[in-house]
Amino acid sequence: MATPPNRPAQPTIKEQRADKRAAQLAAFKKQEAARKRNRILGIVAAVAALVLVAGTVTTVLVLNATPQQVDEELVSGDYADRLQLYPDLEATHTENRVSYDQSPPVGGAHNPAWLNCGVYDEEQQSENVVHTLEHGAVWIAYDPASTTDAEIAALVELAPDTYTVISPYDGLGEAMAISAWGAQMRFTDVDDAAVTDFLTDFWRSPDSPEPNAPCTGALDGPGKVS
Amino acid sequence: MTRGRVVAFVLVAVFLVVGAFVLGRVTAGVAPSPTTDSAAAGFLRDMQVHHAQAVEMALLVRDRTDDETVRTIAYDIAVTQASQSGAMYGLLDAWSLPQLASQPAMAWTELPARDGSDSGHQMDPDAPDGMPGLATAAQLDALRAATGDDAVRLFLELMIPHHEGGLEMADAVLARTDVPQVVSLATGIRRAQQAEIVVLQDLLAALPPAA
Repeated sequence: MATPPNRPAQPTIKEQRADKRAAQLAAFKKQEAARKRNRILGIVAAVAALVLVAGTVTTVLVLNATPQQVDEELVSGDYADRLQLYPDLEATHTENRVSYDQSPPVGGAHNPAWLNCGVYDEEQQSENVVHTLEHGAVWIAYDPASTTDAEIAALVELAPDTYTVISPYDGLGEAMAISAWGAQMRFTDVDDAAVTDFLTDFWRSPDSPEPNAPCTGALDGPGKVS
Repeated sequence: MTRGRVVAFVLVAVFLVVGAFVLGRVTAGVAPSPTTDSAAAGFLRDMQVHHAQAVEMALLVRDRTDDETVRTIAYDIAVTQASQSGAMYGLLDAWSLPQLASQPAMAWTELPARDGSDSGHQMDPDAPDGMPGLATAAQLDALRAATGDDAVRLFLELMIPHHEGGLEMADAVLARTDVPQVVSLATGIRRAQQAEIVVLQDLLAALPPAA
């Protein structure tokens, strides 16, 4: 006699409820586990991001701190106190005489011809010298009435051979003036260390309007010595 | 923690450290720059002076002759050397080094060579500023005063030793630096001026004899 097929018994209502509860519980546990996993993942990601940022910053700081050149020589307090800066000067060309706000002038409108760099023993037209300053040169001016030949010789010795104008300038008095575009300092002692500081900062400065433009090939003023 | 997790954690940590270093390395940029008393910086300063005079002489002779061959090579010298000069200025600026030398001109050639072949020497004590091939103020005045073939002859007689001096300076820095930008500049100067010397010598030989 054939055995009737073993049909699964229909679960009772009670069994159905138990199954449902079990399923709910399983789902809840699964959810809980997912939440926990996500929380751990979040923490790990946050820590990883933090380590990455901190590591990057540290590496940049360390590498940038290794012996790269010190930007510029620290200037003495003295030099900084005496240094006069004149930002935002006009730089147009004019054939006319110009009334400058500074004496000797440190920038502003100027003649189309720059004065060739060198040592002069006669006073030069400021409009030409200002054009030379625009090209990054430094101008050392002295009062012919109060400066000795020895002092002038010392100035020539001190100044770089190129991109420098040395010339007399009436009315300066005891002090000599060293000027670049937008900067000036006065000094009385040729050996003053601040003069070297000024030259280091401003001779052929990239802050001049046309650094590296020529200092030759234009106008030789009167009384050119060298 | 299981062994697998420990391994994973260590791997992640290593990856993070390496990643941070790479990011930092890329962000931090270039290698340390040369110092102000280095041969590289000295060369960049002195060669600007040397080049500026070549530019001046080339422009002077261009204004004093109608010879197109001479005018063309003068144009070449002026524009090439002015451009190289700008590059030298720019490198010092990029490295935050003052254009002003804290030492006398050419002092950098007295530093020993990198391979020890030269313990350093004063290059040309008789030249202006000790710079080999540099023309004197009187020679420049003579060039200014000359015209036509006389100006060309004087220019060639001054420019040939000027270029030869330039070669010496390029050799001196190549023996003393491995800064890539300076090596590349000096090598280019060497090659160009070496070739130009031959051209200048040919031009001088082809000139009619001095009156």
